Amino acid sequence: MIKIQNLTKTFGAYKAVDNLSLDIAAGEIFGFLGPNGAGKTTTVKILSGIMKPAGGRVLVGGYDIVESPLEAKKIIAYIPDEPFVYPKLTGFEFLRFIGDIYSVPYGEQAGRIPELLDIFELSAVSGELLEAYSHGMKQKLLIAGVLLRKPRVALFDEPTVGLDPKSIRRFKELLLDIARNGAAVFMCTHILDMAEKLCTSVGIIYRGSLIAKGTVAEVKKMASGGSGGRSLEEVFLELTE
Amino acid sequence: MLNLLFKRKMLAGKNRLAALKGWPLAKNLAFLSVGLVMLLALYAGFWRLLNYLEGVQVIGPMLSWKLTSMVLLITFSMVIVSSIIISMTTLYYSFDLKFLFSCPIDLRVLFLDKAFETVFYSSWTLLLAVFPYIIALGRVKQLDPGFYFSYIFVIFPFVLLAGSFGILFSMLVMYLFPSSKTRDITWLMGSLSVSFVYVAFRFTKPEKLLRPDALEVVAQYINYLQSPTAPYLPSWWVTKAMVSYSAGNWGAFFSYAGVLFAAACAVYVLMYYLSGIIYMKGFSGAQNSPRFRGKTRLLPEQKLALRYAGFKDLLTCYWKDRLLLARDARYWSQAILIAALIVVYLFSIRQLPLDTQDLKSLVSFLNIAVAGFVVAAIGLRFTFPAVSLEGNNYWILKAAPVTAALIMKEKLLISLVPSLLIGAVLIAFSNRLLGADLFISVLSTCTIVIAAFVISVMGIGLGALFPDFKVENIHQLESSYGGFIYMACAMGYLSLVVGTQAWPVQMHFAERFGRVHPWDWRGVALCAAAYAILNAAAVVIPWKLGLKNLERQDI
Repeated sequence: MIKIQNLTKTFGAYKAVDNLSLDIAAGEIFGFLGPNGAGKTTTVKILSGIMKPAGGRVLVGGYDIVESPLEAKKIIAYIPDEPFVYPKLTGFEFLRFIGDIYSVPYGEQAGRIPELLDIFELSAVSGELLEAYSHGMKQKLLIAGVLLRKPRVALFDEPTVGLDPKSIRRFKELLLDIARNGAAVFMCTHILDMAEKLCTSVGIIYRGSLIAKGTVAEVKKMASGGSGGRSLEEVFLELTE
Repeated sequence: MLNLLFKRKMLAGKNRLAALKGWPLAKNLAFLSVGLVMLLALYAGFWRLLNYLEGVQVIGPMLSWKLTSMVLLITFSMVIVSSIIISMTTLYYSFDLKFLFSCPIDLRVLFLDKAFETVFYSSWTLLLAVFPYIIALGRVKQLDPGFYFSYIFVIFPFVLLAGSFGILFSMLVMYLFPSSKTRDITWLMGSLSVSFVYVAFRFTKPEKLLRPDALEVVAQYINYLQSPTAPYLPSWWVTKAMVSYSAGNWGAFFSYAGVLFAAACAVYVLMYYLSGIIYMKGFSGAQNSPRFRGKTRLLPEQKLALRYAGFKDLLTCYWKDRLLLARDARYWSQAILIAALIVVYLFSIRQLPLDTQDLKSLVSFLNIAVAGFVVAAIGLRFTFPAVSLEGNNYWILKAAPVTAALIMKEKLLISLVPSLLIGAVLIAFSNRLLGADLFISVLSTCTIVIAAFVISVMGIGLGALFPDFKVENIHQLESSYGGFIYMACAMGYLSLVVGTQAWPVQMHFAERFGRVHPWDWRGVALCAAAYAILNAAAVVIPWKLGLKNLERQDI
């Protein structure tokens, strides 16, 4: 579903992503790990089409994100690391805007929006302006927006930042649902425990280059030729030292 | 601690200057040069005016000092209004406030830091604009360089006092009504006050100052000149200090300067004391948003989208922007200022001393350029910033399946209606007030409608060519390099529009004066072709450049 071939991104002389290649199948939850400044956010921005690569190719659902951005974006849902939303729209209006722009039929919106607001416990504040929402509430609203459009590819950049424990648990369940429905999930995260329990495969990026890739068990074995008995956190720290 | 807070501002400024290299440096230097040229032009204008006034027999020196007191009074009022609007942001909504409040800093010291910041931002542009006047005054009155130092000496407490009014007002209002709604109401009240002062000032017909014959009795005129403009306001104390300096009366100069400094010290000591009691409550309340109950019914644009599916994306972006604009108090305050501008504009047209019908028609034709300038200036506030004001939220549209062209078209659609309306209203009413003939009326109305469209397209195109998604407010965009390019392009376009139509208009007047065969149809065709090419170029070039840039813009 997501095919990344020799992806490169430079900012002046600085190489943020260096010759990255990845394949993520439908139904797969891919955890993209790496220390701060390793190139995770840059990669996910390129996948979402909001940043152009300097080299290489990205195919999403068979569409080249540079050559056919509209077709690709129709099947992508993306949540950035900072939940910026229109402060003068209400929660309900924001979801309606997302529904309209991603061509979710009005009939479906009418049923799904109240349901999603309910799931994320936002019904009581759905008529309030978003400038009054907390960071976590905005994050939940964005996740609701992802679910509203039923994407074939979901891209998340640190999706659980600001969420309360109950919402994190709900998010994990929904993530599994999205994947079960056949979507590919690409998630940048620093929460290694979540990646270990949730992701079907992980990749570790360090200084722009992919240094490990595979299932969690496979990656664990890569470090120091280990037996795989250590936690993902220990392996991550060893690889990125 | 206050030293440390000042130091952080100095360091930020120093780093910003140090980062200016290559193209940004060249751009800023070019900008600075244009600013200097404008200040020189202001100086030349002031010098001519003051020279004329000073040359009036017997009352000349009185006239120039009277004008100085009026200039200072207007500056004082404008700083007060600016400080009301700016202090709301600096004292309660600055991006660094949450951090500063969490630091172990005395609340009153933090308040003083923000108060001085308010005074600086609300006065620097006005002081810069007044400076050419002061230089011209010194030159015309042949005063020594010490006069300028004495001005700088007394202007310091003057702006501190003017700024304190706005700061005190905001602090008290926020203390009594601690809510973000208070900020919106204050902004609206601020704009209403500016509009009122502006309209009232224009309606007093200040041009009478230059026409002593307008007042019936000479003694009445001299009394008017000798009377203080506002005896209890610092603007009058500054005027008196400057008059005293120029007369070599040191005692009077220091007594007025002393009054200014003593008043400033007293007010700031009072505010320092008050801030310890009331600032925190206001800041805390500013974080509260009032309850808002949005509706869930289908919007008119959504109903239209159901009928015309091909326009769904455009209509979706349109309703989003329509709601955002309608709910933002900043736009309402801008709209109030524009309404005042239109009233003053039409009043000024009515006051023009034009005697003949032909002269009135000629002025109606030239009025296209002036009305076009007003449309362009309004576009600088609304149209040019439209793309950039997506701000941090631009990721939503960039990640969505909509093209950059659609985003620009929708922004154009939003801006077009007010631009066309304002242009058409200005020209239609001006033509009526001037009694322009039918040919000029039709020509000017059609021209302004086309010009409003072209200038709007230019604004969106250049706004997309010079976007700044990190910007915090419209003023930063207006005074940006891109804003300057937009205004220069709009001015150039309007000059060429008047140029291409001048010849046919000349033929029209020749016909009115009774010339046989006044119309050279080949000339008319040539002008029409030049006008068509000009409009096509003014639409296509900025639009294409902006679109290309927006498409490749990374976030």
